[in-house]
Amino acid sequence: MSAPIVGFAGLTHLGLVSAVAVAAKGLRVVGYDSDASRVREIAEGRLPVLEPGLDDLARRFGAQLSYTDRVGDLGACDLVYIASDVPTDDHGQSDLSGISSLIEAVIPALGTSALLCVLCQVPPGFTRKLPFDAARLYYQVETLVFGRAVERAVKPERFIVGCADPARPLPAAYAAVLGAFDCPILPMRYESAELAKIAINCCLVASLSVANTLADLSERIGADWHEIAPALRLDRRIGPHSYLTPGLGIAGGNLERDLATVLRLAEANGSEASVIAAFVDNSRVRRDWVLRLIHREVLPHNADPTFSILGLAYKENTHSTKNSPSLALIADLQSWPIRVYDPVVSTGAVDHPAVTAAPSAIEAARGSDALLIMTPWPEFRTLSPADLASVMCGRVVVDPFRVLDADALRAAGFSYFTLGAPPLRGAKDI
Amino acid sequence: MIDHQTNVPQRSARAVVIGASGFVGGAITQQLRNDNMPVLGIARKDVDLLQENAAKKLAGLLRADDAVVFVSAIAPARNAAALMQNLVMGEQLIAALAMQPVAHLVYISSDAVYADSANPVTERSCRQPSTMHGMMHAARELMLRAEAKARLAILRPSLLYGTRDPHNGYGPNRFRRLAAKGEPITLFGEGEEQRDHVFIDDVARLVSLVLAHRSRGELNVATGRSASFREVAELAVKLSGKSVEIRGTPRQNPITHRHFDITECLKAFPQFRYTPLREGLERTARESAGVP
Repeated sequence: MSAPIVGFAGLTHLGLVSAVAVAAKGLRVVGYDSDASRVREIAEGRLPVLEPGLDDLARRFGAQLSYTDRVGDLGACDLVYIASDVPTDDHGQSDLSGISSLIEAVIPALGTSALLCVLCQVPPGFTRKLPFDAARLYYQVETLVFGRAVERAVKPERFIVGCADPARPLPAAYAAVLGAFDCPILPMRYESAELAKIAINCCLVASLSVANTLADLSERIGADWHEIAPALRLDRRIGPHSYLTPGLGIAGGNLERDLATVLRLAEANGSEASVIAAFVDNSRVRRDWVLRLIHREVLPHNADPTFSILGLAYKENTHSTKNSPSLALIADLQSWPIRVYDPVVSTGAVDHPAVTAAPSAIEAARGSDALLIMTPWPEFRTLSPADLASVMCGRVVVDPFRVLDADALRAAGFSYFTLGAPPLRGAKDI
Repeated sequence: MIDHQTNVPQRSARAVVIGASGFVGGAITQQLRNDNMPVLGIARKDVDLLQENAAKKLAGLLRADDAVVFVSAIAPARNAAALMQNLVMGEQLIAALAMQPVAHLVYISSDAVYADSANPVTERSCRQPSTMHGMMHAARELMLRAEAKARLAILRPSLLYGTRDPHNGYGPNRFRRLAAKGEPITLFGEGEEQRDHVFIDDVARLVSLVLAHRSRGELNVATGRSASFREVAELAVKLSGKSVEIRGTPRQNPITHRHFDITECLKAFPQFRYTPLREGLERTARESAGVP
């Protein structure tokens, strides 16, 4: 057979990255979105998504890619992915109305032998209920990681495919698309694949929760979690890529969604899932780590400080602020002036009565009493202790993610606070 | 867990403190008066909540725009009789509020409502009292939540200390008094247990803030820094300036600790600062000695 043509319906983060990754394998790709202006911007090379390597890849394989706002153009495709991001509310609940409408619009446009594959995050049971021929209907687990989406989309570890009948071979067109990525393919029933996606995220959160819990203990008993984590990664039962870096709670929306889904399903089906509730609680506690530290270490010495906040995105290399610890902290610092800088996110995202937008990290630090590095953007690593000492009034650096050199800061007279290690107190506090 | 009706502090038309002659109620009444708030203090001699006509009598003293602070309790409730009497007092208040609704109600509960294993305690911790006293507060909380016709805030203080505390329970009050008299302090075991000790004025200041913001919800009253009973004893001795023996005894019970995560308070009242234990004990000692 000739090389299949692949369609992607929904050109949000997931759809766009996935479409470009398939094009990079030499396949023809049609990207569809009902938003004409969005399609025009993408076609002109202005991608609405920040992902390292995405612009370059889209440019290099532009000849393989076409974009359209006409759903009928998907009729030429052998396989169409439903690939729109699924928004969540503050409780991690998915709003499935958007993809349901999208599927409703796409199905009539498909060719008679075309395959339909749901790539979005959906709860178990969603795919089987779709009004489409089960022999041509699939669900595929996506493992998009904000900030590393391209790398993971181009070189996936494996494909997890939900099918009506896992014993039947995949259709040739679908097998050809997945085969282009040269990785294991794991067919299973729809519900298993949908739950597998959630299981992956639960395992990640479990590791994170362990890291958070023991990092907190490390801070209190004089241990350093960053000395411990490498030892764990060398343990084959834990693994070199395990999520052992402590953080400020789960953010971004996707992990929260999966935890909420498990809790909801467990309650409805009578399963014991208190450990999942404990993960949610742990995340909530971790989110306020910096706030508690400020009240413990800064405010007792200086009732009227100015804070500089570096980073608004929920993590580096993304523009997303969904459940961002930085924005959560800012909401609780309304009584004090703040100076803010993020390389990508506009200060317009900040709701604060006394916020100053700074043009750079060092300018954000100018005149402040305490520097709070809330997102580990790589560019913050270039801040030198000497420069910080020359522009800051105070001598407190709160660096949860260890962006800066603790010893150098301490030598420059700073008190330094990071996740997983006891405080390093400098010669001069504030 | 606690939200404000107004972020800008406003003065209540009038605060009514029920249980104004007690240790906690007295401190709250004094604090509100210091804040220039009109206060009606109601003591048992004014309205005995165990009397049959108490609800009607209390309702006659209330106004629609009042903020009521309900402190009154037979405490600690150690037996079934005390438990039932406390519930009757709660019932009378609810009946009074049905006759004369008020704008705001603040209930002074206790951290005894939480399970012993809840550690660190937050406002979300499991409420599973292990004592009659804790059950009493948990039941009164439930009664007020279900039936009181008012915007309700529940404050749950940890262990309180202060000059006027009539109880001489194991902890800062007893240790300070013993040290002042030069008498030895006897610890359970080696006094390893850690608890969060709160200076009485801090409860009063928080009540004032809750009234000013018309806050609703639940808030623990704890400093977030627990200290062992031995540390408290050593501090009390040091502040007394006397040579006082601190005696350990063979341990009879397993060591338990209680810590609080006070993030909710930091968020609700970011400018509020708890009195550090040392400072609170110093002030208590000065007040006891009549030194301003």
